Amino acid sequence: MAEQVVFYIFSALVLLSAFMVVVLKNQVRAIFLFFVTLFSMAGLFVFTLADFVAITQVVVYVGGVLVLMIFTFLLSNRDILNNPDATRVSAAGIHHLPGMVVAGLFFAVLIAVVLQSNPEQIEWIKNADKSTLKPTDNTIHYLGINLMTRYLVPFEVVSLLLMLALIGAAHLARKERKI
Amino acid sequence: MGLKNFTFFVLRGFYHLTFISQNFGKNSGVFFKFAVTTKIKLNLYIINVLIGGLLFSFTALFALFAVYAERKVSAFIQDRLGPMETGKWGSLQTFADILKMLQKELIVPHVADKLLFAAAPLVIFLSVYMGFAALPWAEDVAPVSLNIGVFYVFAIISVESLGILMAGWGSNNKYSLLGGLRSVAQVVSYEIPAGIALISSVMIAQSLDLHVIGLRQGVASVEAIKFLGIWDVSKTGGVFAWHIFQAPHLIIAYIIYFIASLAECNRAPFDIPEAESELVAGFHTEYTGLRFAFIFLAEYSMMFLVGMLGVILFLGGWNTPLPNIGSVRLADWTSGIGWGFFWTLSKVLLVVGIQMWMRWTLPRLRMDQLMNLCWKVLTPLAFLCMLVSGLWRLMVM
Repeated sequence: MAEQVVFYIFSALVLLSAFMVVVLKNQVRAIFLFFVTLFSMAGLFVFTLADFVAITQVVVYVGGVLVLMIFTFLLSNRDILNNPDATRVSAAGIHHLPGMVVAGLFFAVLIAVVLQSNPEQIEWIKNADKSTLKPTDNTIHYLGINLMTRYLVPFEVVSLLLMLALIGAAHLARKERKI
Repeated sequence: MGLKNFTFFVLRGFYHLTFISQNFGKNSGVFFKFAVTTKIKLNLYIINVLIGGLLFSFTALFALFAVYAERKVSAFIQDRLGPMETGKWGSLQTFADILKMLQKELIVPHVADKLLFAAAPLVIFLSVYMGFAALPWAEDVAPVSLNIGVFYVFAIISVESLGILMAGWGSNNKYSLLGGLRSVAQVVSYEIPAGIALISSVMIAQSLDLHVIGLRQGVASVEAIKFLGIWDVSKTGGVFAWHIFQAPHLIIAYIIYFIASLAECNRAPFDIPEAESELVAGFHTEYTGLRFAFIFLAEYSMMFLVGMLGVILFLGGWNTPLPNIGSVRLADWTSGIGWGFFWTLSKVLLVVGIQMWMRWTLPRLRMDQLMNLCWKVLTPLAFLCMLVSGLWRLMVM
């Protein structure tokens, strides 16, 4: 019961803050709200027993939001941030049409999938009692073992990519050598 | 470990608290007597709230004590007397300060972003306060025993810099914003050596659960532990069983962590975010009254939090420093719930004392020196420690 209440609070927070991020004119507040969205998402991850993913989400996105923040400071001036011009845009304008069509179609697809799927009949859901994680399981061990066996190649590829990015960044930040 | 285990641990911790109070008999406070009479029948949610309240009052009390200690320590280092007028040796000074602060007006600058300005102190304090949730105080006494405890505390600590940037921007003041930006640059950089140093200890412990990590550094350890990888001290315990002596390269890792944690607390010699001589008071220039009190509370709680994390990971947590010598079972005599609290507190207070000593001894680092130290000295050394940890685990243990 309590778990459900907490779940719905988190879901409501995610939806509300995400909506506000889009609607708000004040960019700085929008970015802080974006962090609220991501933090509540981390809360939802806990409910799927992906606690490691939840914490990683917080670690990664704190840094991410901070960097976004600094970009906002760099790329916009304070007058714009403080007095967002009240340009009135009608919701049903012709330039909104493509976006609306795409969103509407996507929504239709989602509805269709929900209606057509028969979750009771799917094999892996039927067998879910035996093969799913329990709240007491130590998920870290599964993660570690899987990363080092089944997903070793993707793991190495990702680490190579990150290494390249690091070296690139270090190279760009270097002082120019005098000729 | 999920909600079930969470409540279980809270219960167990609470049970032990009631147990101590029974043993201590007359000296136990009103709270403990209440707990003893109602025992486990208390609703779980009430217990959760009580534990939270206890932790909060602890941080508040600690901040009061630490501010007084800081003023006295700084005074003695600079050959002054410090506060002497209020109470005996000025001992009531911080109570007077907090009383004054509570009465003060909450001034909001006219052009500030009112919402962010008001929210920032809460974000700063909450991020530190939430970190306490995963820290064990003694054997089986932990608010939560998360199986990713180390990672959790590490993540929550970094949220603080978000609050600092919020305060810096919200104040709408050049000094505050500069302070906030500096703090972000510093915290984001120093997280790396701190994290790698923590990982090198976690690799030795083979667990991210702070309670398990603490457990395997004393006589209560299930697996065999070896002093310097040679001498089996599972039954001897004491100082020999601490992580830094199980694997000596962890001494270097601890020093790296300690330096980096100073930077994460924004304390001298890494206090450029609030550098008084350059930025007035940095990100908290505009704050008054209760809001300022919260920022201060967060700063001192943060000192305790990072100190305690280091103590659990490197310095044996709640385990006693006294070893068993033959039939003189010093380690067995000085282990237990009450002793656990005592050792945790005394070790962390010692670390906090060293943090204060550092602050009043060393001059402030310049921004470029700060970054040089982080990226060119601490980070490579931390990586080296991690490598040695791996080799140690494979070859020695």
